[in-house]
Amino acid sequence: MASVLAQLILNGILLGGLYSLISIGLTLIFGVIRVVNFAHGEFLMLAMYITFWLNSLQGVDPYFSLLLVVPLLFLAGLMAHRLVIQPILGAPSYMQIFATVGLSLVMQNMALFFWKADFRSVESFCSTTSIRLLALICGAPKVIAFSASVLITFALHLFLKETYLGKAIRAVVQDREAAQLMGIDIYRIYLVTFGLGTACVGVAGALMMPIYTVFPTVGVYFVLTAFVVVVLGGLGSLPGAFLGGLIIGVVESLAGFFISPQLKEAIYFVIFLAVLVVRPSGLFGQIGAEELG
Amino acid sequence: MNWKRIFYPDLYIALFLSGAASAAALLVQNEFFTNLIIWIFFYASLGLSWNLIGGFAGQLSLGHAAFYGVGAYTSTLLFQHFQISPWIGILTGGIVACLFALIIGFPCFRLRGPFFTLSTIAAAEVLRILATYFKDLTGGSVGIQITAPPSFANFVFAGRLPYLFIAWGMLLVALFVSLLIEKSRLGSSLIALREDPDAAEALGIDTAWAKMAALLISAFFTSMAGIFYTQFVHFIEPYSEFSLENSIQFAMIPMVGGMGTSIGPVVGSFILTPLQELIRAWLGGRFLGLHWVAYGLVLILVVIFMPHGIVGLFRNKRIRLPERWHRFFAPVSPAKVSLDKGLVSASVLSHKGSLGEEGILLECRGVTKDFGGLVALSQVDLKIRRGEIFGLIGPNGAGKTTLFHLISGFYSPSSGSIAFRGEEISGLSPPHQVCRRGIARTFQVVKPFGNMTVLENVMVGAFCRDKNPRAAEEEALKIIAFTGLEDKAIFPAHRLTIADRKRLELARALATKPDLLLLDEVIAGLNVVEAEQVEEMIRSIRAQGITVFLIEHVMQSVMSLSDRIAILHHGEKIMEGRPAEVACDPRVIKAYLGDEYVLASS
Repeated sequence: MASVLAQLILNGILLGGLYSLISIGLTLIFGVIRVVNFAHGEFLMLAMYITFWLNSLQGVDPYFSLLLVVPLLFLAGLMAHRLVIQPILGAPSYMQIFATVGLSLVMQNMALFFWKADFRSVESFCSTTSIRLLALICGAPKVIAFSASVLITFALHLFLKETYLGKAIRAVVQDREAAQLMGIDIYRIYLVTFGLGTACVGVAGALMMPIYTVFPTVGVYFVLTAFVVVVLGGLGSLPGAFLGGLIIGVVESLAGFFISPQLKEAIYFVIFLAVLVVRPSGLFGQIGAEELG
Repeated sequence: MNWKRIFYPDLYIALFLSGAASAAALLVQNEFFTNLIIWIFFYASLGLSWNLIGGFAGQLSLGHAAFYGVGAYTSTLLFQHFQISPWIGILTGGIVACLFALIIGFPCFRLRGPFFTLSTIAAAEVLRILATYFKDLTGGSVGIQITAPPSFANFVFAGRLPYLFIAWGMLLVALFVSLLIEKSRLGSSLIALREDPDAAEALGIDTAWAKMAALLISAFFTSMAGIFYTQFVHFIEPYSEFSLENSIQFAMIPMVGGMGTSIGPVVGSFILTPLQELIRAWLGGRFLGLHWVAYGLVLILVVIFMPHGIVGLFRNKRIRLPERWHRFFAPVSPAKVSLDKGLVSASVLSHKGSLGEEGILLECRGVTKDFGGLVALSQVDLKIRRGEIFGLIGPNGAGKTTLFHLISGFYSPSSGSIAFRGEEISGLSPPHQVCRRGIARTFQVVKPFGNMTVLENVMVGAFCRDKNPRAAEEEALKIIAFTGLEDKAIFPAHRLTIADRKRLELARALATKPDLLLLDEVIAGLNVVEAEQVEEMIRSIRAQGITVFLIEHVMQSVMSLSDRIAILHHGEKIMEGRPAEVACDPRVIKAYLGDEYVLASS
C-alpha cells in the first residue's frame, strides 16, 4: 500500500509539473496585463498541433520541434495581443473576458475546420522509455516535462528579477502609471509579456505531445484545470502557479485512484470554491490583491 | 409599485416586435418559420435572464447553462420518476437552480476580479460531468427521451402553436421582470455597483446582496427556459444542457443587442437568432465548426467596436433629444424647487441611536492604521460635535484620506475605536453599513457612475433611505437643484466637467440623508467663483442640521468654513483648535512650510 501511495504521489507530482507549465503563462499574463486569457488553452492546442504536424510531415521529434514551436507560439501571442487584447485594454474586465472567449472560439473552431475532430498522437524516441527510481517507475516523457517545468519557472523567476526587461515588467505590475512616467513603454511590456505567456504554453504543448493526444477542444480541458491552479496559487503569482500545479496534480492522481477518475473535475471545483471562501488571495498571492469587496 | 414607470419606449418596442412575430407565425403557418419565432422568443428570454446579472450588474457569467440544465433535469426527473407535471417542475427546478446560484454566488460576490466568471464555468462543467456519471439517475450521456402523451399537464403538445404562445409568454414575463428591476432600487444598485463598486458601497448599497438577488432571479428564469427547451425538443442529455457553448450563446444575445438594458436582449435575439439559424444551416452542415468561428469573430468585433451593442447606437442619440423630452418624464420640474424650501433634511429622526456625551457625534479614540510597516495613522483622537463644521488639514500623505477610509468602513483600524452617536462603528465592514447609519462620504478622486445620468447617480444615493423610485427621484431632483446641476440632470455623468463631478459627489452623498457628511477635497481644483458656491452650499447643508467633516487644501475656504480644525502630520494629530489659532501655530507652519518659515514668522 505504501508503495502504491508513493507511486501515486510521484505520478501526481509529475503530472502537476505539466499543469504548472501551462498555468505559469496564464498567471504571468494575468499578473501583468490584468486580462484573463480564456484563449490560453487554445494556444496550447496550437502548440500541440504544430508539434504533431512537424512530426507527421517532416518526422521531427517532438523534443526537437521545441526549437520551432516556442518561437512560433511567441509570434502567435504577439499577433493575438496586437489584434485582440490591445484594443480592449481600456474596456471593463467583463468585456475583456468576452473578447478572449471570442478568440478562443475562433481558434478552436478553425482547428476543427482545418484539422478535423480526430484524436492525433505522436511518438518520440523516448516515448516508451521508463525510468526506475527505487521501487517507483515513471515514464521518461513525464520526467522530461516535469524537469522543463522546474527549469522554466526558475528561468522566468531569474528573468524577472535580474534583467532590465524583467524589472520593467515587475514595475508595470506594481504601478502602471508610475512605470509609464519612468519611461517604460507599457504597451511594449504587455506585448512581450503576452508573447512570453504563450511561449510558455508552447513549451508545454511540445512536451505534452508524446504523452497526450491532440484534438481541437483539448485546450478547454487543460485551461479549466489551469484556472484552478492559478487561483489556488494566487492570481498573478509564479511560484504560486508552480506549487498549485503540483498540488492539483497530486490531488488528481489520488482522487483518480481512490474516488473515480471521471469525477476529478468535481473535486477541483470543490477545492476552487474552498480556496475562494478560505483564502481568496491563494497560497502565494498578495493579500488584498483579490480585492475583497 | 408605480406601474406607470415601466411604460417606457422599451416596452412598446418589445411588445410590437414580439406581437408582429407571433402574428406572422400565425399567418404563415409554416413549421420552419414558427420554429424560428419560437427560438427567437426563447433566446430573448434567456438573454433577458442573463442580462440581469451579466448586463445590469456587470458580473460576467459564462456558466448559465448550469442553471438552465439543472432546472431541466430537475423537472424531467421529477416527471419521469414521480409523474410530477413540468409546470410544477418550473417551480422546483427554479428553486434547485437558485440553490446552485447561492453556492456559486456566496464565495464569489464578496470578491472582485474574475472569480465569478471562473466559478460559473466550472459549475456548469462539473454538472455536465455529474450528469454523465450518475447514469442510473440521469440516463448518462444517452439522455432521456420524453415520451409522455400530449396534454397540457404533461407540458407536451402535438402542434407548434402552444409552444409559440408559451415562449411568447416566457419572453413577456422575463421582459416585465427585467423592466421592473431596471426601474427599481435593485436595478439602480446593480448598475451603480457595475460602474463603481466602491462608490456604490459608500452610498449604502449592499453590493454582495444586490448581486446575489440579481443572480437568484436570473437563475430562476434561466431554469424555466431550460425546462421549456426540454419539453419542446422532448429530449435531455448532459452536453446539450451544460455545454460552455450554450452559456456563451446566452451571453451573446444581450451582448450584441446591448447589455444592461431591457430592450437589448430582445433586439439581440431578433437579430442574432435568425442569423444563427441561417449560418448554421448554411455553414454548419458543410463546414464543421465554421459557424462558431463566425460567432467568435462577432464577439471580438462587438467588444472592440460596439461595446454598448445595437441599442447603444441609438441610446447616445436619445440623450441629445430636446429638453421637452426630459421635462415630460421628470415628475418635478427642477426649476420650481428653490433653495429655501427646506429641501435637505438629515435623517436624525429616522435613527434611534442616542447621542454620546455633550452632543459628540463622532469620536475617534487612539485610531491607528498601519499598512505592513508603514504607519499611516497613529493614535489619533478626535471629537466632532453635532452641528459643527470640522476641518481636517495636513500636508500630502499626512493620513487624512486614510482617516476617512477608516470612518466610512473601507479600512478597519489596526487599533483604536471609532464611535458614531456613541455606537462603535469601526468593525463595520463592508462600508454600506456605515452609510446606512448616517455617515456619507465623497471621494477625493471622484467616482461618478459614468454611464448613468446625473439624476440616476443622485437617485442611487436617495434609494438609501427611500425604496420607492418616484420618491427617490423627487428627492434626487431637489438635491440636484440644490447643488446647481439641474441643467445637466439628464447628462450621463462621464460628460461632466471636474467641477460638476465634484458637485455630483456632494449631491449623491447628500441624497443618502446623512447625519455626518465627510467631504474629501470637494473645493480643491475649483475656480474662485465655483469654490464660493460650494462653500455656500456647505454652510447651508450645516444649517439643515447636518454635521460636516471636511478635508481641504484650499486654506481660504477651510479657514472661513470651519468651526474647528485639526491638523495631521505624518499620521499624527499635531493640534486642534479654532481656525485663527491653527493658522498662527508654529507647529502648523512648520508642518506645511518647514523650519525656516517658523523662524521667519516669529
